[in-house]
Amino acid sequence: MADLWSLIILNPMLNGLIALTSVLDGSFGLAIIALTIIVRLILVPLTLKQLKATKALQGMQPKIQELQKKHGKNQQKLQQEMMKLYKEAGVNPLGCLWPMLVQFPVWIALYQSIMRALATTPESLLDLFRHLYSWEVVTRALPLDSHFLWLNLGVPDGTMILAIIVGGSMWVQQKMVTAPTVDPRQKSMNSMMQLMMPFMFAFFTLMFPSGLALFWAVSNVIGIVIQYLVTGWGYLGRGALPKLPLTR
Amino acid sequence: MKTNLTKFVVLFCLFSLFAFGCAEAPTGFSGITRGDGILYVGSMDGKIIAMNASARSQQLHFPADGEWVYAITTTSQGGLSCGPVSTPVAIYGTPAVDGNLVFIGTYNGKVYAFNIANGAMRWDYPKEGYIGAIVGSPVIVNDTVCLCSSDGRVYALDTTYGESNWNSTVLCDKLWATPYIEGDKLYISTFDGHLYALSADDGSITWSFATESKIGFVSSPVVSNGVIFVGSLDRNLHAVKVESNETLWKFAGGNCFWATPLVSNNVVYAGCLDGKIYAVDAGDGTQLWSFDAGSPIVASPLLVDDLLIIACDSGEVYVLKTEATGGDRIVNQLSIGTSIRASFCASGDVVYVRGQDNCLYALDVKQGKETWNFTLTTE
Repeated sequence: MADLWSLIILNPMLNGLIALTSVLDGSFGLAIIALTIIVRLILVPLTLKQLKATKALQGMQPKIQELQKKHGKNQQKLQQEMMKLYKEAGVNPLGCLWPMLVQFPVWIALYQSIMRALATTPESLLDLFRHLYSWEVVTRALPLDSHFLWLNLGVPDGTMILAIIVGGSMWVQQKMVTAPTVDPRQKSMNSMMQLMMPFMFAFFTLMFPSGLALFWAVSNVIGIVIQYLVTGWGYLGRGALPKLPLTR
Repeated sequence: MKTNLTKFVVLFCLFSLFAFGCAEAPTGFSGITRGDGILYVGSMDGKIIAMNASARSQQLHFPADGEWVYAITTTSQGGLSCGPVSTPVAIYGTPAVDGNLVFIGTYNGKVYAFNIANGAMRWDYPKEGYIGAIVGSPVIVNDTVCLCSSDGRVYALDTTYGESNWNSTVLCDKLWATPYIEGDKLYISTFDGHLYALSADDGSITWSFATESKIGFVSSPVVSNGVIFVGSLDRNLHAVKVESNETLWKFAGGNCFWATPLVSNNVVYAGCLDGKIYAVDAGDGTQLWSFDAGSPIVASPLLVDDLLIIACDSGEVYVLKTEATGGDRIVNQLSIGTSIRASFCASGDVVYVRGQDNCLYALDVKQGKETWNFTLTTE
């Protein structure tokens, strides 16, 4: 299974990343940025599908909240009514999940490629050689120059700058997609998620090699751009709650 | 529903991050050296261990006569809520013995000297802080221990007191090689495709050579009859004439040449990560023969009389005739069942091999059997 994963997904991406480094004058940082952009562009159809499904679900929130108020005490009835609502609207509640899950193997491969290519220890360099093609464009880039801007891509960024960029861009992205809600439980959960995820990734940035954090930052920025093109600024800066019909 | 989905996605992200992405921690693959019947090796849990080969073959209680253990640790921050913690260091180099001292460099950037009689630490360098990570082995020349560091410098320290005799200028972003001593010169290969000759007296650069491609050298150099033999990341074994800018020949392998080549009787034996050992004519770079071990060769080969010993990443050890051809080449084949990456040494017919299971194996290469093994995870 591991061999199949390496053969089909990991090795092509890893060698592509190193070949890109060679093409981009030996800059591994630029190669990470370029490959992240390429992968995100390839995944645009899936991302759009996911965004549209999310948007459709969010558009139904007022009706869902209405149902929650109406049948809040009878969970079985609530579920039945919600499924009926989804069916009538032609929306699959899992529609935003599947495109996301399909993208995961690609993200994991990209993530593994960056970690492997950095090869900071003798063991990881030996392991890298097992995955490399005999292309001259690949061997020419070795060993990779881990310096990019102020960063040493093989070690965590100690300046906090990258952590702020990663955390900030993730917060913006989350804020754009999370719809305000009147449900106190949901509201509290949304607030927690909006803060927890950026904080968590900012924390990871301080612990993981900055090459990986660079990938997160670029990926977030591209995510924001795609989100903007689909939904505009979405819910960013919109504090008002959605207007609900006050029915009993 | 949405909350559950979000939770699922967050958990999946975290799982992916840790399950698939964590970098491999350095564990080390220190080689073995031998002096006066005692074997010295760095273990995978950061210890320098002296073993009496005779006592181990008799399975006497450890530590027996001449045996000791010294645990080298480094202090690191233990996380958000923990104080500093001591963790074992990784050791890659092969210890070097000189007089009554044994020397080793560690991956956390320290050089140590121990008394061979009792394992007491004689000195460490630097006293405060660290230099760059040390991957190569120390070598001794004129009462000076020399080694390369990942900060790109070569350090020369007084063997008795551990004081700095000289440091070279920064030769490269990082140096993982073991210097080769020839006369009063140290020959160094670098990750950015350079070869240097340094004066053993003061570390000044007396000669440098850059490959046309600037593709780095990954193996340590060997000098024989005025020619440097060194393996490269470009999948070639290079032969460069010393003190000239002339590449005599290049020999192409199927992958990089990580192991330091061995030169004997005008033949270069080079283990390759493609799993083959190549015997190459030192004069013109033509292949004399090759043997496919089927697994990457990381450890340098060794000659015992006229037998060539190679060990590979799959744990197989092959005893090969250097002269024979075809199917006659294999004399013996042994397996220790675990990866072999560390340099090994021999005494008579016995070869001492350290596996990545942190165990040392004594193999009789002529009889083709394991005589004893000893786990290096000691209390």
